[in-house]
Amino acid sequence: MSFSRTIIISCAGMGNRLGLGTTKALISIEGKPLIISHLEMLKEEKDIRVVVGYQADKVIEVVRKFRDDVLFVYNHRYRETGTGASLALASKYANEYILSLDGDLLVHPDDMKKILQCDYEFVGGNDVESEDPWMMQTYKDGDGIEKVSAFSKCLGNYEWNGITQMRSSKMLNGFGHVFQLIEPYLPISFMKIRTCEIDTIGDYEKAVQWVRNNFGGME
Amino acid sequence: MSRLVFLYDLDSTITKQELLPTVAKELGIYDKMVELTEKTMKGTIPFKESFLQRVEMLKAVPVSQVREIMGNISLNEKLVEFIGKNKDRSYIITGNLDVWIEDLLKRIGMERNVFCSKAFVENDMLEDVISVVDKNAVISQMVLPFVAVGDGNNDAEMIEAAEVGIGYGGVREVAPSVHTCATHVVYDEDTLVNFLKKLA
Repeated sequence: MSFSRTIIISCAGMGNRLGLGTTKALISIEGKPLIISHLEMLKEEKDIRVVVGYQADKVIEVVRKFRDDVLFVYNHRYRETGTGASLALASKYANEYILSLDGDLLVHPDDMKKILQCDYEFVGGNDVESEDPWMMQTYKDGDGIEKVSAFSKCLGNYEWNGITQMRSSKMLNGFGHVFQLIEPYLPISFMKIRTCEIDTIGDYEKAVQWVRNNFGGME
Repeated sequence: MSRLVFLYDLDSTITKQELLPTVAKELGIYDKMVELTEKTMKGTIPFKESFLQRVEMLKAVPVSQVREIMGNISLNEKLVEFIGKNKDRSYIITGNLDVWIEDLLKRIGMERNVFCSKAFVENDMLEDVISVVDKNAVISQMVLPFVAVGDGNNDAEMIEAAEVGIGYGGVREVAPSVHTCATHVVYDEDTLVNFLKKLA
């Protein structure tokens, strides 16, 4: 198969809203940092890039204890830019496709398998649960395939969870949100992915429960 | 093919062992040498001063002996192979002396593509250091955009000025000053070479 993919995990941000004083990818759920949860599910993947900024040294240290063959990409402007900038930096000189994951996200292991088997462009979303989500409007095309047609603050059937697989050549410019890099290329296939994003202490407690329940009870 | 030029630090980037400490070990003056090398890598003393002091320690040793030890140093072979395939736009930038690294450069196949310090030799003994390379001055001559790979404090400026500036920590820890300006940091030789192939 000629499909080639680079995995990009964005871990540059500060995670202010959580008030734990640590970058969100290093937050431990049941004793395991979020970034390690990602890496455990990505063991078979060869080309992994982790974008670092705030507390880069700590992120690098934690990742290297798990595997040493990661390419670290610096987003030195993490204070004034968003994950879109991190993704754009890491998409340079990458494989044909990039799979973008946020470091502050917990993904259902079964859904991660589904993601890794996918060899086309998609945008990931979950049922609307957050207090202040970016939502996605979708429709079914003539073949019955669900497609994302727009991102919106006030209208949509799913919540955008930051996971996307796109051609790397489309992701080279950006500084705000990741979805702003995707918008010009809509419509794109939708993939439902069960996730828990950790933005607040409430999210954190929910994530702990989710893991304790073996990723059950969050439909 | 890209138009990028590739600039490499030699010591602990292409080589798997540190040059001067390895020579010092063979000559039994390792501790003193390591102390100076550590300070230089961390940037607590200027490279030129530290280098001249370290040269002074090895001045009593015949040049041919140092050259032979350096010529047999172990290398990051996959990186060397990549450099060989892209030789026409690759350069080594090293503070080390031309008369010491001659054999090593031949082994890498880069004896013509090098910016290094220079010394005057008489009867196989080092008489004087003529010049110590200023990596910053070298990169200021570059016309084409470049990729820079290095690990130490004296590589930070070329890494900062690079289109793609890579800190390589496969041999020793990447200097803090490199972390603050690198676009990428990598610790595994295969990962480094695979990434360089994408840049070529």
